[in-house]
Amino acid sequence: MIPALAHIGHETPRGRRRGRSVARKTADAIGRALTEVLVNDETASRPGLMQRLDPRVSLLSIVLFSVTTTLVHSVWVLVALIGVTLVLAAASRVPVASFVAKVWASAGLFAVLIAAPAATRLVTPGPTVVPLGALSLTSTGLVGAATLVARVVAGAGFALLVVWTTRWTDTLRALSALHVPEVMVTTLAMTQKQIVTLLRTVEQIHLARESRALTQGTTAENRSWVVGRMAFVTRKSLKTVDDVYDAMLARGFTGTVRSVTRMRAKPADWLWSSACLLACAVVLAADRAVWPR
Amino acid sequence: MSDVFVLRGVGHEYRAGVPALTAVDLTVSPGEHVAIVGANGSGKSTLLKMLDGLVFAHAGSISAFGRPLTEEALESPGFRREFRSRVGFVFQDADVQLFCNTVFDELAFGPLQLELPEAEVVRRVAEVAAQLRIESLLDRPPYTVSGGEKKRIAIASVLTMQPEVLLLDEPTNALDPRSQVWLLEVLGEWKRDGRTVVIATHDLSVVEDFADRVVVLSEAHEIVADAPPDDALSDRDLLLSVNLIHEHAHRHGGLTHVHGHSHSGHAHDHG
Repeated sequence: MIPALAHIGHETPRGRRRGRSVARKTADAIGRALTEVLVNDETASRPGLMQRLDPRVSLLSIVLFSVTTTLVHSVWVLVALIGVTLVLAAASRVPVASFVAKVWASAGLFAVLIAAPAATRLVTPGPTVVPLGALSLTSTGLVGAATLVARVVAGAGFALLVVWTTRWTDTLRALSALHVPEVMVTTLAMTQKQIVTLLRTVEQIHLARESRALTQGTTAENRSWVVGRMAFVTRKSLKTVDDVYDAMLARGFTGTVRSVTRMRAKPADWLWSSACLLACAVVLAADRAVWPR
Repeated sequence: MSDVFVLRGVGHEYRAGVPALTAVDLTVSPGEHVAIVGANGSGKSTLLKMLDGLVFAHAGSISAFGRPLTEEALESPGFRREFRSRVGFVFQDADVQLFCNTVFDELAFGPLQLELPEAEVVRRVAEVAAQLRIESLLDRPPYTVSGGEKKRIAIASVLTMQPEVLLLDEPTNALDPRSQVWLLEVLGEWKRDGRTVVIATHDLSVVEDFADRVVVLSEAHEIVADAPPDDALSDRDLLLSVNLIHEHAHRHGGLTHVHGHSHSGHAHDHG
């Protein structure tokens, strides 16, 4: 655990309890959000398969798998790709249960909601599998919906693998090395830092209120207080932007961000890249065989 | 050798009718260690930002290294490059100053802006990181380190530019006692190196150890004293008038007495 932030998420009780104030609930939620940032960095520091790779190779291989996922038509091949994400997660010492829960919570359920209407006779006519009147599910509709859900889950899985197996600093460095404009990379870095800093401020504001509040207040009072604090944080954020710009000017910033590339690809990285290319080619060939045009 | 900074009749207002500084006359010579002291809101930080060409005078004139320090002058790439490479500024809030992806990038930012070759940038980063004992932090994002480490990184990020002049705003702010001692040692090293240093602070315990001269700003945003530390710090009426110390009464056995008291530290003489 990173020492400076080690307290975050530990000082507040987990789980739902009745009767907690808005301030306490918000502070707890912020604590959990900050903890998640740290947990990601800790997972990314474990000695797993993806973590051993050069961040550029890791990033490119995941992009390659994601593109392959969008090109595949067969639901079975997509399911196999979901299996690949699970294997990679396990090989990278990512807790597979958390990984699956995160993918489904962030993308899977959303995809199911979007795809559900497509499974009905109303949208996709075809042989009925589950008779429910006008909303009967058809086999063609189910296959279409399953394909969409599988594609989203596989894509989200690959994206989450990058987040969980590559430290944020390495991801940004990889983006720089891959010639993503430096101004974009710096903006991403500053945004992350600003979010963490402001989250800490908001957490402290809510805890300060909790420490002085004798009652939980009415909904209207709480709403008014939250709006006021939002305005305060916005003003603070704008002031910080000005100060950060001054700090950049003071160190000679002229509008162009430069960086030093400190990455060296190892033979294992080249081997991994070749294996990924081959695997994607095999996946696409298998997809064409299962789903001929 | 020309003076580092010369300010004549300098005034500044952030809003019309609300002065931040009034009629400031100040000269800083090469190698001098100057402490600008004053209560909160007296204009110390504004004055320091003016010396770094981040805030500009509404009245009077400022020159740096014998040349006018104006917004127009800093638009010239040649002067801007020279000025930024010669003057380094350590901000009061390290969180503001540390905006890069990693500590390494933070230390490399300045030298890269000076368009130094990569090998030289890497050499300077390694040298300064070793000097300030932050090598183990180089791959960390700056927002994940402790307050004392942030201050070290902020100072290191300026030192990699090898400036002749260092401006430090409230350098002991949020530092624990060990880090404060470390900072005083660093300031001592800079003195031996012949670097010019200007600090803005209301921590009088630092001033005594550090400064050749003390410039006192009043709550009316004017310079009310410019004197050696022994003279300035022993002038109880002056320090009371600018709100840097307050009357403090306490008992020693059966005896109650009153004396000036700074809140930067609780150590004081009873001579």
